[in-house]
Amino acid sequence: MNKLAQKYLRPSQIPTKACHGCGIGMIENWLLQAIDELGLKQEDVVFGTGIGCVGRQTFATWGGDNFGATHGRALAVATGLKIAQPDKKYLVVVGDGDAAAIGTSHLIHAARRNLGVTVVCEDNMGYESTGGQFSPTTPAGYVTNSSPYGMVEPSFDPCDVVKAAGATFVAETTATQWHQTIKIVKKALQNDGFSFVHVRFPCNENFGAYALGTRDTLKNLEWIWEHTQGRTADGKPTDFTWETGIKHDASNSRPEFSKILRDLVRKAGGTPASAALDRVEGVVVDD
Amino acid sequence: MAVIEIALTERLVAPWAEWQKRYTAGRRLLEAGTYALTEGAIAAGCRVFAGYPITPATDIAEYMSKRLPQVGGYYMQAEDELAGMHMCAGASLGGLKAMTATSGPGYTLMHDAYGWAITNEIPLVVVDAMRVGPISGITGAPGQGEFYVARYCTHGGNIETIVLSPNSVQESFWLTIDAFNLAERFRTVVTILTDQVISDMFEDLFLPHDYAELGGIVVPRHHNLAMPFYPLNSDAVDVPPNVVGLGTGVCVSAYTHTEEGYDIEEMEAQWAQTYRLVNKIRHHRDQILRYEAVGLEDAEVVAVAYGAASRTVKTAVLGARRRGIRAGFLRLISLWPFADELFGRDVRYLVCELNYDGQLVREVMRAAPDKRKVHFMGKSAELHTVAEVTAALEGVARDGRVPGLPYIWTDV
Ligand SMILES: Cc1ncc(C[n+]2csc(CCOP(=O)(O)OP(=O)(O)O)c2C)c(N)n1
Ligand code: SF4
Repeated sequence: MNKLAQKYLRPSQIPTKACHGCGIGMIENWLLQAIDELGLKQEDVVFGTGIGCVGRQTFATWGGDNFGATHGRALAVATGLKIAQPDKKYLVVVGDGDAAAIGTSHLIHAARRNLGVTVVCEDNMGYESTGGQFSPTTPAGYVTNSSPYGMVEPSFDPCDVVKAAGATFVAETTATQWHQTIKIVKKALQNDGFSFVHVRFPCNENFGAYALGTRDTLKNLEWIWEHTQGRTADGKPTDFTWETGIKHDASNSRPEFSKILRDLVRKAGGTPASAALDRVEGVVVDD
Repeated sequence: MAVIEIALTERLVAPWAEWQKRYTAGRRLLEAGTYALTEGAIAAGCRVFAGYPITPATDIAEYMSKRLPQVGGYYMQAEDELAGMHMCAGASLGGLKAMTATSGPGYTLMHDAYGWAITNEIPLVVVDAMRVGPISGITGAPGQGEFYVARYCTHGGNIETIVLSPNSVQESFWLTIDAFNLAERFRTVVTILTDQVISDMFEDLFLPHDYAELGGIVVPRHHNLAMPFYPLNSDAVDVPPNVVGLGTGVCVSAYTHTEEGYDIEEMEAQWAQTYRLVNKIRHHRDQILRYEAVGLEDAEVVAVAYGAASRTVKTAVLGARRRGIRAGFLRLISLWPFADELFGRDVRYLVCELNYDGQLVREVMRAAPDKRKVHFMGKSAELHTVAEVTAALEGVARDGRVPGLPYIWTDV
């Protein structure tokens, strides 16, 4: 087991249950590295997930407190948690289905409120745990199990959406960019506000197999890398290009949502309620 | 459980029968049901409200937006009801008591959140102020269409639920405190099914002076800081709720769980979880049963109702008694688990509810000794008049059937 896993994860819940060669475990390792470089401890971070491969394969691996929400609602749950426990860092790992389809409204409004959470959207460009249907981030024209003739809808960039909604930190990266991803996640976690990190990674089992014609991890990673460069290995232009890097950085420029609510309480003459501040009564459950 | 004998055979079986005698120093107001319900929540220690506006529950949100900051709490206007209930679940999981309020169209959006909160044993109070439907129906008219929806408030089965229903402004206050207490004790979602009449109407309301003095009746939030986080195969109540954010290592999810909260795909784990979620409630039905009854012991025909409908029904029963009909009155306050034990006598039952399809009546037919003696008196969008109920009681007592009346449905 690697050192970071030993430090932060639950031995009984790793290694990941993801398919062979899936990028989910690798990205989680990078998240741990960012957490470690910031000097954060297990009890400083609440780890939240959505439903889908990204959620299912990472839920409960984190050694501290974990929540796995219903499909799409991780940010709504995180909103409630953040106001009750404002001093924690919230790392919420969701799929593109969670963030860019069923849960988009919560994503937009969490960004608008500047909720103090870091959302890592691990985008495998489809609904993979249900067997590889296209999602709003599937590139137009690509074949999936529900777009046998090619995806006919235009695809959608969640970075643009959250930036327009008021996110204070927005970045895009991929599973082919280790150093960049760690740098970005560190910055995201340092923003006392809404941070959105979009990480594309290959699903070999479905997207790779049906859209790209291969379950070979290296080939799928190469396809992603080429699209960050706009050029294939043999020098031809790719069909489209993903711009990666920090897209918007207004970190710590406006008040975080739970702080706004606490300030409102003070204005109304109250003392902000917080479970962390209340006397904690530890009770051992006896059966 | 406190029981007060008001008249010879009139009784209220609910904790507030005793609370009302214990707390007498306070203010007397003329206020709405939504106001009383909001104050009940504040008194019970609710510190988070998240919801989406909908008549007739909107006033609860507005009152909360004013009251919560004064007591250190947080009002959030969610982007929809799905968000509202999930936010409340998150807040409660973070250690703060929380509530949301809605009406039918928002209520049915909450199924996923219900399942999540119930399975993870998160204490929460959800108010559904029922109006006539389906869908938007008539926003300013009462309905009782969510009797079964409130029982089957989520998908997948394998749960039991607690649902309470008030029938006055004053009761909305005490019952809300009770709902919060049950939510804490049973680590579950408690639903308050109120309706447009009880929410919107103004009535005499007594509020105790100092909510801090309600310590004797309010169940405080405790935190469970140790394994097992989920006492599977156990029906224990008063298990303190889990808390996320204090570093206990708790895991909370949408999946079938182990006692640590890890996701698991084994039948035995599913059975153990179901045993817990169903039997912590079923095995303690006696602690949840709340009702009001008049003349149950000797009645030949018992009129059964809840919420707003019970008000005119009770008046009619008392009038019928005075005219020599051996009528009885049963108002269910705890709707679920269903009070089968109150239907033991083999007499006629007249079930009055505010819908035409017949919901409560089906449970009474199931619980009563002879379903042929269970009569339905459905009315939609407005209360039964006293005259209508009187005519029905007379008809049932005399010829064993509800006479034909305009606007009344009797077929189930
Ligand atoms: C309300 C609801 N609708 C549908 C599902 C079924 N479902 C489970 S996972 C999933 C796809 C998730 O896709 P994504 O978020 O992109 O995650 P991935 O599996 O691709 O990692 C769907 C549709 C569900 N669990 N809940
Ligand atoms: S289906 Fe795809 S995304 Fe899911 S675990 Fe397998 S490779 Fe990873």
